[in-house]
Amino acid sequence: MDGSRSVEALDVRDVSFRYDLADADGGVRGGADGTPAALDGVSLRVAPGECVVLCGASGCGKTTLTRVANGLVPSFFHGGFAGTCLTCGLDAARVPIDRLTPLVGSVFQNPKTQYFNADSTDELAFPCENMGMGTEAVNRRVAQVAARFGVEGLLDRDLMRLSGGQRQRIAMAAANMLDPRLVVLDEPTGNLDAAAIEDMRVLVRRMKDSGVAVLVAEHRLAWLNGIADRYVVFDGGRIVRSYAVGDFLALAPDEIAGMGLRALDLEPCRRRVRALAAAGDEDGSGAPLLRTRGLIVGHDRRRRRPRFGFGGAGRGAGRSFRRVVGDLTLRRGLIVGLMGRNGCGKTTLARTLTGLAKPLEGSIELEGREVGPHALTRAGFMVMQDVNYQLFSASVREELMIGFGADDSDARSRCDAILDALDLTAFADRHPMSLSGGQKQRVAIGAALMCGKDLIVLDEPTSGLDRLHMERVGGLLRRLADGGRAVLVVTHDEELAAGWCDRIVMLDGPDPSARDAPAGVAARRRTP
Amino acid sequence: MGSSASRTGPHTLDPRTKLVLLLFANLMLFFHVVLVTQLVMAALFLTPMAVEGRTRMASRFAVAVAALTALSMIDPDAMGVPQLHVVSALAVGVSMMLPCFMTGAYAVATTSASAFVYALRRMRAPEAVVVPCVVIIRFFPTVARDYRSIREAMALRGIASGAAAWLRHPARSLEYVLVPLLMNATTVAQDLSVAALTKGLGREGAHTSRTAIRMRACDWGMMAAATLPLVADIAGVV
Repeated sequence: MDGSRSVEALDVRDVSFRYDLADADGGVRGGADGTPAALDGVSLRVAPGECVVLCGASGCGKTTLTRVANGLVPSFFHGGFAGTCLTCGLDAARVPIDRLTPLVGSVFQNPKTQYFNADSTDELAFPCENMGMGTEAVNRRVAQVAARFGVEGLLDRDLMRLSGGQRQRIAMAAANMLDPRLVVLDEPTGNLDAAAIEDMRVLVRRMKDSGVAVLVAEHRLAWLNGIADRYVVFDGGRIVRSYAVGDFLALAPDEIAGMGLRALDLEPCRRRVRALAAAGDEDGSGAPLLRTRGLIVGHDRRRRRPRFGFGGAGRGAGRSFRRVVGDLTLRRGLIVGLMGRNGCGKTTLARTLTGLAKPLEGSIELEGREVGPHALTRAGFMVMQDVNYQLFSASVREELMIGFGADDSDARSRCDAILDALDLTAFADRHPMSLSGGQKQRVAIGAALMCGKDLIVLDEPTSGLDRLHMERVGGLLRRLADGGRAVLVVTHDEELAAGWCDRIVMLDGPDPSARDAPAGVAARRRTP
Repeated sequence: MGSSASRTGPHTLDPRTKLVLLLFANLMLFFHVVLVTQLVMAALFLTPMAVEGRTRMASRFAVAVAALTALSMIDPDAMGVPQLHVVSALAVGVSMMLPCFMTGAYAVATTSASAFVYALRRMRAPEAVVVPCVVIIRFFPTVARDYRSIREAMALRGIASGAAAWLRHPARSLEYVLVPLLMNATTVAQDLSVAALTKGLGREGAHTSRTAIRMRACDWGMMAAATLPLVADIAGVV
């Protein structure tokens, strides 16, 4: 293997690709009238030990290029392919994908759907077992790679019970099990918090140091500072610019924004987030909709359901979880950002505030009256991270009309007004599942508005979104708040939080303002 | 690499034995075995589950078997409540399917993906069978979680999702659950297949398993014990 290290890890020559209609999934695409070219005459070389970042708006072709590199295009995602892609010297489009397996490691965006085993050690061993390695060799390799990537502490654990960040570290280690020469990362930080992203950075550096070439398709760019060697900007399936690291990092923030890219430096956003978190609720503007007192959220072991999974899934079951929440007020017209590390209870709090979970202790007041979960579920709505669970109908209009009679003319006119306000009129008769992620989010919100909800909670609405779509979500939050609703957004996205939130609640985390108050909602007790 | 011992211990059945038990459970459904056979087989299926430390799963299934058996034995006419025929008929139907759930849950919960791949390949199953099988088995655990999320989404929209709703509008309730479930399933299946391919699941040639897999005395014993009542029932001896 070592003798061929001098060959380029990846050599893409004039590759064009157009997805067959059935496979046209990822990202935002044009209408039903055929798919545009996903890649259009792309050439790129990546040397061993080099880290190349592919950036650009959703649907620009960067994910497709990663799929060309690891052979998924055109062998799994079918379509019209032209050109040549030499991955570690092999013609990736023409050799069977198994030949590429030992040479290319792949990590994908969603930590939930890229592992096969319930047990982390089994997961690491899996690629080796598929290569037919003996038990001793597999165990030795698992130990080596785990040490190299600092995941020894995560061995023999139930993957379903690890945080997103921990799972993604296991995915990184698993991608390196066969000692690949190229590792392809497709939006690996889409669902991660700042600390987990920092871990990813360390792992990428380790791969580079051992001569592995790294190809990253990514919206969030800040974490790659200092490890990226080259930035390649895509637009409409073409490479529009290629920058050496120095030139790219020297670009002014508005030039970066002009290309539709996320910020290179998050420090201004983080400062703003800290300031908002420290300011608390002191100005007291806006009528309070919901107030919590002495709230403790979580789940205790008796309410856990049995879970089935591949071996090991039952181990460590029934762990209970508690999080003390400082008293919190959600006001009409304000957007509150709920931030904190992965696994600190943000989603549990959001579920409690919408009545989907019972508080362990404490009370919640709605418009000044103490209420139970049912009333909260009636008043609030949560746009889930996976919005696919929330759409039930065959057309967007029907979706909004669930619960209303088709002949209810008042409801119909309200439905039309909501569709219009959310820019959904053009899609009113489309199947919700044929829409893009952002459009689906708006349909779910439209349904909530039809039900007359006062509190709209969004769980990670911008994970995996480019700048333009992130800003659209921000604008949508603002419009919801301006319409007199209270908006709570659970997010790791500092750019969204800094740009659009009126207040930040740090549920936990490294933020200094959160340290002294157990619940993290610090500095709230200062009376105006 | 110590603690995978929970699976490699002396009490673990071979994946092939688990597949045979699953096959037996389906045969029971196919041949409409009598109640005695059902109970004997249920006890046999629950034993390895309990021995491997899945006591909670085993006890839940045991309770389900007992409850369904009791319900299926009620005599609505004697009680003067003919409406209860629905209940007893449902109980009979579900208790016939229960063995499939038991053996399926046991197989999925106690076997690593690579052990399944290895076992299937040893049985000379073709590639076109192995890859979808593993993807489907990996897919099961996500369904329970999906279902809960969908129930919550329905609650937020004010769509009734409890037992009463299922009884009153079974077709509509099913549609509300199935549409998002299936739509999500296509995405998950695609993601899993992609991950499988990049990890070499589809590679031709020998695959191995870190977990020691071989047929032992307990495997043959288990199969023999399960064959006996089943054959006796089908032959009409019981």
